[in-house]
Amino acid sequence: MTFIGLNHYLVVAAIVFVAGVFVMMTKRNAIGILIGVELVLNAVNINLVAFGRYHSTGSVDGRILALFVIVLAAAEAAVAVAICTNFYKNLATIDVDRGDAAKG
Amino acid sequence: MSWYEQFLVIGTLLPLVSFVLLVFFGHRLGKPNSGWFAVAGMGISCVLATIVLAGWHGLDPAEQAELQAGAYRFEWASMGDMPITLGVKLDSLTVIMFFMVTFVSFWIFVFSIGYMSGHSDEIDGQSKYHRFFTFLSLFGFSMLGLTVSSSLLFLFVFWELVGLCSYFLIGFYFDKKFASDAGIKAFVVNRVGDFGFLFGLMMVFTFLGTLDLDQAAREFAFQYEAGSGVFGTTINLFGWEVSGMTLATLMGIGLFCGAIGKSAQFPLHVWLPDAMAGPTPVSALIHAATMVAAGVYLVARVFRLLTPDAQLFVAVIGCITLTMTALIAIVQTDIKKVLAYSTLSQLGYMIFGLGVGAWVAALFHLMTHAFFKAMLFLGSGQVIEGCHHEQEITKMGGLRKKMPFTCWTFFVGVLAIAGAGIPWTSLGLGGFHSKDEILAVALQRTDYWPPEGVEAHHAAAPVDDGASYLLVSGSNQEGGGQAHGQPGHGEAQPGDQGQARHAIPPDAHTADQAAGAHGVDQHSLLALASGTKKLPRWMFWLPVIIAYVTPFYMMRVWWLTFMGKPRDEHVYEHAHEMKLMYVPLIVLAVGTAFASYWIFRPMLASAAPAATDATLIVGIDGHATDAGHAAGLMMPHAVHSNLAPIVGFAFVVGFVAAWLIYRNGLALATQISRMPVIGFFHRILVQKLYFDHVYNFVWVRGCQGFAWLCRLFDTYVIDLFFNLAAKITERFSAFSGWILDAEGVDGVVNGVADSMLKLGDTVRRPQTGRIRNYVLFAAGSAAVILLGILIGVRL
Repeated sequence: MTFIGLNHYLVVAAIVFVAGVFVMMTKRNAIGILIGVELVLNAVNINLVAFGRYHSTGSVDGRILALFVIVLAAAEAAVAVAICTNFYKNLATIDVDRGDAAKG
Repeated sequence: MSWYEQFLVIGTLLPLVSFVLLVFFGHRLGKPNSGWFAVAGMGISCVLATIVLAGWHGLDPAEQAELQAGAYRFEWASMGDMPITLGVKLDSLTVIMFFMVTFVSFWIFVFSIGYMSGHSDEIDGQSKYHRFFTFLSLFGFSMLGLTVSSSLLFLFVFWELVGLCSYFLIGFYFDKKFASDAGIKAFVVNRVGDFGFLFGLMMVFTFLGTLDLDQAAREFAFQYEAGSGVFGTTINLFGWEVSGMTLATLMGIGLFCGAIGKSAQFPLHVWLPDAMAGPTPVSALIHAATMVAAGVYLVARVFRLLTPDAQLFVAVIGCITLTMTALIAIVQTDIKKVLAYSTLSQLGYMIFGLGVGAWVAALFHLMTHAFFKAMLFLGSGQVIEGCHHEQEITKMGGLRKKMPFTCWTFFVGVLAIAGAGIPWTSLGLGGFHSKDEILAVALQRTDYWPPEGVEAHHAAAPVDDGASYLLVSGSNQEGGGQAHGQPGHGEAQPGDQGQARHAIPPDAHTADQAAGAHGVDQHSLLALASGTKKLPRWMFWLPVIIAYVTPFYMMRVWWLTFMGKPRDEHVYEHAHEMKLMYVPLIVLAVGTAFASYWIFRPMLASAAPAATDATLIVGIDGHATDAGHAAGLMMPHAVHSNLAPIVGFAFVVGFVAAWLIYRNGLALATQISRMPVIGFFHRILVQKLYFDHVYNFVWVRGCQGFAWLCRLFDTYVIDLFFNLAAKITERFSAFSGWILDAEGVDGVVNGVADSMLKLGDTVRRPQTGRIRNYVLFAAGSAAVILLGILIGVRL
């Protein structure tokens, strides 16, 4: 068995992060973008916990910060869904490409 | 200034005062009052004139000469160092002329009050009553100013003023085209004469150095003796060399041209018949008595500046005029036109008389003519008024019963103009004395008269006889005056400047000594006088023949108007007389009959020597023998006696001829006028010798043609140039507008705007409004920065 160290967790977090950014960049569905946001936040959480397990000396800072991030992600998801609801109310669609009224 | 001059000046200015007041208040004064106002002005002038006349008449010649020499002058202005003096010329001629003008004017003003009340406020209410008297007053002032002026310059000023008033008054009914045309014609023709007059005036000023009448004459005499000045200069006139006597003659002819225009001589006579378009009092005053007399007055005044050739020219013009116009008068049917042509003919007599040297006779004729012609015109005015504006004698007839006063005063005028009287006595009216004397002088100047009179008489005449002393060297008059004035006068008289060379030793009592002081041989002066050309015979016979024609046409018009049977019942029925209008007629008739011979003539005779400078240039009455006659410049009895059978009964012949032809009306005359040869002449005369037609064709159409040519030049040459310039400017501005404005300025501005737009477009491209793109940019930028930091740390 290969020894699973910090790097493996960082790579996984990076992959999830990039996936989340990629989803944010490419999805036309508003909910899809939210999913991408969740992915990014989760990647951040993985990173935080990994660094808390392998690089800290018994402190719980990493794990506490991860808790904060989870709560904030939840709150932010609630607000984002409210925004999406409004978006749907105004534009009758959740295709974000239709919301280009701010086009210059 | 002695009281004579003061009265004359006041008398001249009074009509001016009434003119000014009538201009401002005439409208308010209204119908009869403005007339009475003008009459008052002229009336006071008349009274002053009478006082001056009476006073002057009582003086003896020496006192008169003294007053004359000391007459008021002041320097009005100066051109460089040549002073121009203005003053009053105090002279018997001035006094009589002044009296005549004021007297005749006064009675004509009175007549106008009645006449114009029916003849003004015509169609559009413009010919207002007060306007008439305004102009009449201005005319009175101008004419009187002309009479008393001592300087040719101011005489010219008043000359023009008189012409201007004539224009106003002829064109009084200016809403009628023929009246306003007549006014313009009068003024323009007058102007033509004035052109020559100005020419003469300029020559006088250039060569004689002064425009004062007395000084100019003295200077002229001096230059003749010395052969200097005008006699010594040569000028180049359009390539001809003119000098000496010819130049002096040209000067005299120039001055005479003014008289040709003003006194309507041939060829400028055409304005006078048309001037009858004005109201009748205007015709009476201006075109019979005064304004046309101004020309004769001028010639009389500048008589001393005329050379024998110039005088011959004057006489020829006068002769042609008197003949031509008398013939035209025979066939005229408008009563005013007959009188107009008669005036022209009598003016011709006056000018002719002046030309042959009968100075006294011509001016005497002027005075009597003024009276009886004014009366004749006023009488015709009565007739026209009474016949309700009917002017053709073909429609009149038998008016004697309806208008007795007019008829018989008119008859007195006819007698006067015809020269009726009893030959070989002094009983006669007007023309009997004056015309006779003119013809007598003319006879003497022809070669009918034995020429041995001159030298023999003069050689025999004792020189210190008072009369021939006056006659032989006229400049002695001034010499005597100057000598009288010089010692005891502290102030320099203006006439003395530069004239010192004329000073005659005060004790020069004989002509010899006087001439010796001048340094000239006395006999040479006399030789010139006697050598003056003899007149050609036709210049004597034509006036004689016309002396037969004049009574003919006057009797014709009188008979056809007043006698016989009425030719138009309608006109006859309404004929009537007005009292205010026949009083002047009676006064003028009396004046014609009586005053002239016994008062005017001797006064004129006393004015003559100083005014004519008898020997110097003109050898007129060199045949005067008796001492008593010399001062009067009258003819010896022999001449009158020879003349009497020729012209003494002319009036009888004329009257009888007219009576024979016209006693039954116009039928016989019309028959005669249809006969072949006579018919031809009749036609020409009715057309007034085609003068108007010729002048119209040559001058009027000529001017219009010239104006048309000028218009062509204007349109095609000048306008072409300007249009071209405008086009070039317009093209250039379009071009510059295109280059500078459209391409240049606009290009820059638009270019800036365009680039801004492009910049904006470029800048706005990232603003897609799509969230995905924004996320991409954000992530991409973050990645780039991280990479950058990584590489930077690595490096």
